[in-house]
Amino acid sequence: MTRKKVTLAYIENEAARKATFKKRKKGLMKKVNELSTLCGIESCAIVYSPYEPEPEVWPSALGVRRTIAQFRNMSEMDQSKRMMNQVGFIKQRISKAHDQLMKQLRENRELEVTGIMHRALLGHGFGGLNLLDLNDLGWLVDKNLREIDERIKSLKDSPIPDIPTKDAAPAADNNSKAKVEVGESSGVLGNSSALALGSGPSQEPWTMYMELFKANENAVDDDVGGDGNFGRNTDDPTAPSYFLPNQGLPWSNNFLFP
Amino acid sequence: MAKKSSMGRQKIAIAKIPKKNHLQVTFSKRRSGLFKKASELCTLCGVEVAIIVFSPANKAFSFGHPEVDTVVDRFVAPRTKPSESALSAQILEAHRNCSIRDLNFVLSQLLNQAEFERKKGEEIEILRRANWTKVWWESPIEGLGLGELEQLKMALEEVRRDVVEQSNHLASEQVNGTALFGVNNHGSMQSQNCEEIPETKPLDINGSGPPTFYLDFHRNNGIF
Repeated sequence: MTRKKVTLAYIENEAARKATFKKRKKGLMKKVNELSTLCGIESCAIVYSPYEPEPEVWPSALGVRRTIAQFRNMSEMDQSKRMMNQVGFIKQRISKAHDQLMKQLRENRELEVTGIMHRALLGHGFGGLNLLDLNDLGWLVDKNLREIDERIKSLKDSPIPDIPTKDAAPAADNNSKAKVEVGESSGVLGNSSALALGSGPSQEPWTMYMELFKANENAVDDDVGGDGNFGRNTDDPTAPSYFLPNQGLPWSNNFLFP
Repeated sequence: MAKKSSMGRQKIAIAKIPKKNHLQVTFSKRRSGLFKKASELCTLCGVEVAIIVFSPANKAFSFGHPEVDTVVDRFVAPRTKPSESALSAQILEAHRNCSIRDLNFVLSQLLNQAEFERKKGEEIEILRRANWTKVWWESPIEGLGLGELEQLKMALEEVRRDVVEQSNHLASEQVNGTALFGVNNHGSMQSQNCEEIPETKPLDINGSGPPTFYLDFHRNNGIF
């Protein structure tokens, strides 16, 4: 395809512009043709050039007139409903590119935090992490724990109805830390073990997780998925409040997954 | 998280697609791509263009520059002499071209950034995959046996306890006014005396409104 990257701007150089025009016009006509044939639909293309008075058309002058007639026969609304010009179209492209970028950033962030998690598993400390990082890390750890529990469950599924629970030991340890939040967190673990116990194959781990957040519901910002909300950009007023004893669970939901 | 790759480009015969679903999807994608190409042609070469396409459901999609109607009208009833547009029309066009230029600029920035992040993600992914043979717990859990899973679970639970503990520690430091929040990527979230943590007002970094592009979106400065 292209050997060099082209900036999306008017080509000042006349010769280059003319060459580009020839190639791209040809390509455009080819694409219209393919679309029409592959999908068995009516279509037309009109391209005016500064180099000649007559426009170049596809499929033919007659074909174009036919399509135009069919088009003009429709109601005003039907014509303009899906009509685009440059401004509208580029805005649409911007919107899509933005969404893609956000998605990619989220994914990269998850990769990054996963790396942190692995280092934690190796025993490196959390020295440099701030609260937001810790929040994300905690969320990711929980997510992994859930997945592991599911996996354990599915591996043990057929013959053994009950899975030996692990929640007894961790809960005890947590409580010994004498923090309400940690007590809450053992609730999470307890619940995720309950998940492992097969609390119902129909129950999506995600919904169960959401239930755990009910207490924290007011802390969930609807802004997820919106602009700039990437778990880090939004200074969620409620996020720090997760340390208040009367709140539900530690992790603000305001992260990777809306 | 695994990156699922699609089948990639497949060669396809240029004939009407037999399956209806396939046809619909193809129409959708190719129509979008066609308009994109047309838009680029207009931007790069400054030409007037109109494309009209009817969907399988007989809905009319059209793209035109400057407008579908102007180009179509020009085709249907061509003026033999070059039109002397009214001054207002010229001004309007100048405005529009300016907007288009700006929009294209924004779009390019976004696309570049997306590409950059994509490559970055790929690289990180490659490095991680390289690690899987050496460090079994980093590989996806589907590949782990039951014993390993239990082990990993215990290790993670311990990590979790540590995270909660560290979080509480940091939080209490703030309440006592001794700790600094980490500087987040926009460099603007610093608070020292954080008694008012619950009421911290949300940072509106980009302002409200339509998506703005993050020209200087910095990577965060956690451990990495």
